[in-house]
Formats: sequence, C-alpha cells, structure tokens
Amino acid sequence: MSRLHPFTLLAIAGSLPALAWILPAPAGGAWAAAVALVLTLTPGARPGFTSVFRTAVLTAAPFWLFLLLLHDVPTTVAIGLRITTMVASFVWLVATLEPARLVEAMVAAGWSASIAYLLAATLSAVPVLKARARRIVEAQRCRGLSPRGGIAARLRALRALALPLVLSALHEVDERALALETRGLVPGIRRTPLAPPPDPALEQATRWALLLGCLAALVWRFVLPRLT
Amino acid sequence: MSIRLLALIPVAAAISLALSAAVDAVALPLFLDTTGTILATALAGPGVGIATGVVTSAVNTLRNPTFWPFVVVQIIVALYAWVAARAGLFRSFRTAVPAGLGLGVIASVTSTPISYLVFGCTTTGGIALTTALGKALGLPPLGACFFGSFVSDFGDKAVTFALVTSVLHALPRRTAARFPWALRAIGAA
Repeated sequence: MSRLHPFTLLAIAGSLPALAWILPAPAGGAWAAAVALVLTLTPGARPGFTSVFRTAVLTAAPFWLFLLLLHDVPTTVAIGLRITTMVASFVWLVATLEPARLVEAMVAAGWSASIAYLLAATLSAVPVLKARARRIVEAQRCRGLSPRGGIAARLRALRALALPLVLSALHEVDERALALETRGLVPGIRRTPLAPPPDPALEQATRWALLLGCLAALVWRFVLPRLT
Repeated sequence: MSIRLLALIPVAAAISLALSAAVDAVALPLFLDTTGTILATALAGPGVGIATGVVTSAVNTLRNPTFWPFVVVQIIVALYAWVAARAGLFRSFRTAVPAGLGLGVIASVTSTPISYLVFGCTTTGGIALTTALGKALGLPPLGACFFGSFVSDFGDKAVTFALVTSVLHALPRRTAARFPWALRAIGAA
C-alpha cells in the first residue's frame, strides 16, 4: 500500500470518511468503517508503525464511550461508525504515507515549493521543539521551579516554561530564512523533484472515481430527494 | 510573502504543537493550540496567521484526525487576533486578557456546531464530560455542547493571549521590528 502514489493514499483516506457522513446511517457508516479497518490490516506500513489496526481501535474507542454517555444507542452507533471511519482512515494514512514522498509528489504536480516546505518543515520542527520543551522543563525544575500549587502558581510556572521555548524558536526564524534564501526557495520558482513517485494511469483513474463517487453520493442523498 | 515570513509559519505552527509538553508539566486543563496562530498574526498579519492555523490543523490531524474539521476555528482565531493586533490590545495584560476572553466566546460559538454535528460533542474527554454536566443541568443538546466548548475555550484563549503578550514584550525591539505588525500589536508604533 505504501507504494501507491501519495495523492491516491490521500484520496482513499479522504473519501472514506466523506462517504461515511454522506451515506445513510448506520449502513453507510458501517460499510465505510469496515473498509477503513480492513485497510489498517493490510501490510505496507512504514517502519516504526506496527499494529495499525490496534492503534485505530484504541483511538476510536474513547469516542464510543463518550457518545454512549451523551446519546442514545442509535445515535451512538451512527456517529461512532463515522468517527471510527475517520480515525481508521487517518491512522492508516499516517502509517503508510511517507512525508518526503508527499512533498516530492506535490512538487512534481506543480504545487509551489513553498507549500511543500511548510508541511515538511512543520513536521520536522515539531519533534525538535517538543524535545527542547522537555529540556526546558527539566532545567527549570533543577532551578527550583515547582509546577504544583494553586492555579496562579501553575500559570507562573507555565510562563517560565513556555517563554524560553517560544523565544528560542522565534530566534531561529532568521537562520531558517537565510537557509531558504541560500537554497533558492523564493516564491514563484518551479523546482524539479529528484525522485517523483510514479503515478500510473490506473491510480489517476481511481482518484477520479473516488471523487465522482463522493459527488454522486451527495447528489443521491441530498439533491435528488428534493427534486422528486 | 517574504522569506522571513515564510520561515515563521512552520516555526509558529510547531510552537502550537510543542507547547503541550509545557502544559503537561504544570497539569493545567489548557490546549494552547492556537498560540502559534495568534503569535504569527500579531507578528506578521492575517495572511501568515491563517496559513499558520491551517498548517497547525493539517499537522495536528496526522496525530489526531478529529482536529481537521476545526480548521475553521483556527482561521477565525487568526482574523480576531489581527483585529486585536491592529487595536494594540497586546500592549498589556489588562487589555490582552479581556480580548482573550472575547476570543474564548467566539471560538466556542464557532466550534460548537462542528463538535455537535460531526462528533456528537465528544471531541475530547473533558468536553464530553462538561457537555454531560450541561445536560445534567437541564440544558438542551446544543446548549450543553456549547457549555462544554465554552468551559474549555474561555480560559484557554485568555491564557493564550496573555502568553503571546509576554512573548511580544520579551522580544528584543530589534527582532520585533523585523516583523511588520509586532510593534503595532504592543502599541509601540
């Protein structure tokens, strides 16, 4: 599955939740959820993403609990199946879609290199900043900062933890801008991808079929009943 | 858009997502997931703020798919922060905190229909429990859902505005002057 073109993976992961919401409940949601859960069982997950099915089920389970707390059983089943479809589709997508391949595919398709940069740079910056946040927490604790006490004390502690993190991140902006300029990433410039993922005609046709399928379901569900 | 503003967007989005580590350390019921959006808007205007909000939602969706429908809230937050920055409301806590409380109301009004229609008010455990409390208090389903969103958003946005105000005032003037809106947001220009 991970060898599929990134746009095909996105189209599958996007159309399943859309169909779950459009088609009548609970049958529509049940079908979509079943397909999404079967996808999580297919091989081809990226290294480090094991037991995709279990992750999807564990992520969706709390929603069912909260839905039961707030709604009757038919509503719980209807909304729960839709949420399960959404969760399973995206968990599968994250497990199979390589961010670097997505960036290559976007550049190959003529998207601005800036948009591809925004996605890739954020994905790489989050773990770096999270690790820095943990180091700041440990350093401030060594200096005697207590994250306990009343709300006012905790808010003061939060400021002492968040401020160094945000300021240090902002100071990096100039360095990043310089690096981007050096690499010629100026808006409006078309770049050539090094290894664009193959995009066979069959996959392109599948993406169109999924899009048209969603549109047809929308018309069948919401437009036709008003006309008849 | 200049290269510096382009470089600001992923940094601001990553700030929103990384602050959860600081929030976890102090065990407060806060999200702070709009900090980067508000900060980017206050520094560089609505275009950069909206782009930061959309990127934040897109990357957050890869971690938890329930975030994507709330991308609208990020856009509303960016527009509100722009108005606040134009009015210089980040000049002190005295002006920033009420502005943040106002945003809390607007954010909960915006997120309630999404939470109600898409998730049946179960976006997070906290919201589901406060919604259940609202139902127990006799509120209608949509009212209970608003109550749940309001309880989680009201304080969160006030703290976020206060934090952004702290950051803007702690930035050296020379650094702040490199961003088009920073000095105006704190009432220094």
